[in-house]
Amino acid sequence: MLRLKSLIPLTIKRRISNGNPIEGFELTCGLEIHTQLNTTNKLFSRSVNNPFESISSPNVNTSYFDIALPGTQPILNYEAVLFALKLALSLNSTVNLSSQFDRKHYFYGDQPQGYQITQHYHPFSKGGYLRLSKEFDEIKELSKEIRITQLQIEQDTARSLYHQSSQQNSGEETLIDLNRSNVPLIELVTEPDFHDILQVKAFIKKYQNLVRQLKISTGDLEAGSIRIDVNVSVNEHPRVELKNLPNTSSIINAIKYEYERQVNVLKNNEQDSSTVVETRGWDGSKTTVLRSKESTMDYRYMADPELPPIALSSDVLSEVAKTLSKDADDCIRELMSNPYNLSKKDARIMTIQNDFNELYNNEELRVYYIDTFNAYKGSTEDNEISDPKIVVSWILHELLGNLKKLQIPLNQLSQNILSPKKLASFLNIVHGGVISNSNAKQLLFHILEEYKLGSCKEPKDIDFMILIKKYDLEVTKNIDYNTLEADCREIIETLNNPKMIESIKSGKKKNSIKYLVGLGMRKYQGKIQAQELETMFKKILNVK
Amino acid sequence: MSLKSIITKIPTVQKEFNIFTSYIENSTECPADSSPASGKIGAIKDNIATKDFPTTCASDILKTYSSPFDATVVSLLKGSGAVIIGKTNLDEFGMGSLGLHTTFGPVRNPLNKDWCVGGSSSGSAAAVSCGIADFALGTDTGGSVRLPSAYSAIYGFKPSYGRISRWGVIAFAQSLDTVGIFANNIDTISGIFRILDQHDPRDPTSLSVETRESIKDQSVKFKDRSKLKIGIPKEFVQSDLAPEIKESFMLYIETLLEKDYEIYPISLPSIKDSLSVYYTLAPAEAASNLSRYDGIRYGKRNSTKPDIVNANFFTESRSYFGQEVKNRIILGNYNLCSDGYKNNFIKAQQLRVQMINQFDKIFRFKNILTNNKPDHDIDILLCPTNLSPPPPINSITHAPKSNPLHEYMNDIFTIPMSLAGLPAISVPFSKGKPYGIQITTQYGNDEALLKFVKETVL
Repeated sequence: MLRLKSLIPLTIKRRISNGNPIEGFELTCGLEIHTQLNTTNKLFSRSVNNPFESISSPNVNTSYFDIALPGTQPILNYEAVLFALKLALSLNSTVNLSSQFDRKHYFYGDQPQGYQITQHYHPFSKGGYLRLSKEFDEIKELSKEIRITQLQIEQDTARSLYHQSSQQNSGEETLIDLNRSNVPLIELVTEPDFHDILQVKAFIKKYQNLVRQLKISTGDLEAGSIRIDVNVSVNEHPRVELKNLPNTSSIINAIKYEYERQVNVLKNNEQDSSTVVETRGWDGSKTTVLRSKESTMDYRYMADPELPPIALSSDVLSEVAKTLSKDADDCIRELMSNPYNLSKKDARIMTIQNDFNELYNNEELRVYYIDTFNAYKGSTEDNEISDPKIVVSWILHELLGNLKKLQIPLNQLSQNILSPKKLASFLNIVHGGVISNSNAKQLLFHILEEYKLGSCKEPKDIDFMILIKKYDLEVTKNIDYNTLEADCREIIETLNNPKMIESIKSGKKKNSIKYLVGLGMRKYQGKIQAQELETMFKKILNVK
Repeated sequence: MSLKSIITKIPTVQKEFNIFTSYIENSTECPADSSPASGKIGAIKDNIATKDFPTTCASDILKTYSSPFDATVVSLLKGSGAVIIGKTNLDEFGMGSLGLHTTFGPVRNPLNKDWCVGGSSSGSAAAVSCGIADFALGTDTGGSVRLPSAYSAIYGFKPSYGRISRWGVIAFAQSLDTVGIFANNIDTISGIFRILDQHDPRDPTSLSVETRESIKDQSVKFKDRSKLKIGIPKEFVQSDLAPEIKESFMLYIETLLEKDYEIYPISLPSIKDSLSVYYTLAPAEAASNLSRYDGIRYGKRNSTKPDIVNANFFTESRSYFGQEVKNRIILGNYNLCSDGYKNNFIKAQQLRVQMINQFDKIFRFKNILTNNKPDHDIDILLCPTNLSPPPPINSITHAPKSNPLHEYMNDIFTIPMSLAGLPAISVPFSKGKPYGIQITTQYGNDEALLKFVKETVL
């Protein structure tokens, strides 16, 4: 007989509450966010900081300090300070010019020193906010400010792997991987300013975008480079801290569940004097008690006796502030207004980094777009653009697609072969009708392919007009409309599809005319503007 | 004496005084150059990491621990041609004043085998006092170099905090921990200090290169005055000072007066707080530093019982600490508890700053770390190192219930200088007698202090 053994029931069907607010019961949330900084080295040692890449070879990135050998001392990595500074300034937080490190004591297998070095009494920065808006963040309110309580720099713990020991009766065994130990973290605490789940969702997304834009963290929740605890309280219900929330959906579902649970407690008057601040975990379907206040640890915080304060000058702050890129919302707004007038979707693509893309980042893309736009605008006769969409659609839809297909990095392309100025001149040719759109697309791809075949190394000065002539792609200038009409009529006849022609005429399937245009383009090898063909077919078929 | 003959002598000396926790056992291990320059045979306190010997802190918990690296002080000594003959016994992790709290058994005083030699750098003091080593390194947190040097009639120098690297020095209370030097003459002390007095980028509390430069400037200015002005803090005039120590102290003052030094009474009221401040701060730091000994990565581990029992972590392995260490961990944790921290720890830190400010007012030179303006004119402070001669070992180990406070009282003269980070040296003015005179100066003026000793003590 075959047996399927599983510790976890295979099917858990449980109604996840919808979390809709119930009249008279207000949700209040605050977040505690731990963000792993992607510095080269660890926070207090020279060990390599790459806990994810080294996941299959545990305990390789460990120095004497990381494993807390007797006689070792911490030396602060100032790259982590720089990263913290970028984040604090971006969140309008007031940087402490002399923040200090403290030790937080508790015993655990993942903590080699027996304490974590953190910033308890004099944190890195205090105050600040992140602004959410209906326009950009899909919240209900027009605008909502989430206040930041403080930011602190601290050490990450080691990674624990729990498994049942192979030896009998020896209980559980935990394996420890110290590659993550002493990786720099920033702990960000918000004020309890969230009153709607959409706000929580929006904040998390926006915060992820921010750390990616600042290039201080990979910003991934799933992989654990961002870890979020949530404090939830409905009305007068004592605060509950939710932990073990591995991704956005578990954060949202846990808050929804906890909201309904607390509402029920309040409705049924189940709350007695023993109901106190507690920590609950999320098991995928419900929140369960991890520990209550009575068993709360006294961390015995102590100012670290050997680490000097992080002394910063206001000059350093203003220098770092200069290096920061513009606020993402401002960027989007700028791209959506004159002279660019982009759609919100296109503006976002050029502002927000959703993932680490090796070929280009949002900032490079935005710069490339704006430079091309300005070059294009400058090259037109009256400094005006009659067709503002042409730049964005060529870059986002044609160029990026080609780059991905051919694996060419944008920066390299821009430097070696297709500078914004060059692209602008090409768009000018296309706009001037020298070459048809479809032939222009093929020509661009061909140029990039050639470049790729030459191992992307040779910078080239491309003369589009020469290439158009070489490949004989120029649109015929003097169209003989009689010949054109004859050709079009021949196409319709050869097609011999009265049903289709009828549906075009009757207006049932207006777009089928594009099919005819396609056939015409093929006949003319793209050397005619599609518009000329469409006009002729319409004239023949007598449609508007 | 050739190195070979010294190594042959060690087992006999070890049997007599129990100085070492480990030592070079046969002469084949000796370096090819078997007669190092004079003054270059050394012993190292066993709370300083060495690759060539185990590093035990005289604790059961680290009895089999071997460090993969040398402390900076050890590398510097080796690089200078010194030969290290062994690691020396101590009060476990540096906690103790008599040299009795050790898993290796008490160290005996070379002046009289029945006496304590003092602690916590007990073996290092005894190694120099009995003549087996030219110099020895100890660590001084509240007097652990100065007290045993007084008890064993040798020189014991605690430099300014931050001048000698602590990388590889196993922390007891690192806001106070300072590497110190033992020798039986001032020239050897100065020579070893010159080797070790280096900035170390691996130690976050090591004095920066720039600060070292400004110290040099101050040392030059020290010479402006042909006869230094000497102060005696009245708070150090203790009624229970042993008569023979008082006599020796007075004798030294007479020789100074004969040499036309001017001597002034001064007052440092904060000295009365020093024991309380010290026993609030030092155990708290110790409790924190000793949290790492859980048996997981190194050190002794109870293999028969789990690490976690009833949500208590590492209790079984951590029970290998000795009783005095356990007492201080408990006291330290009490001081760090959220209730105790504000009432005790923070207050102790404030009193410590107040004490530093009082010291700064007395001296002629400003303290380059605090930048406090001095408003007196004193160059040198004097007081005895110890209150009484060393107690007999039996009187302590056989006492039914000895009050730890009695042991703590031994450090009454030495703790204030530790709290203020000042350079201080205990000098055996009465040759061969188990008491010393403690000479102190302003922060950073270590060279001037050593020079003064050379000029005034024969």
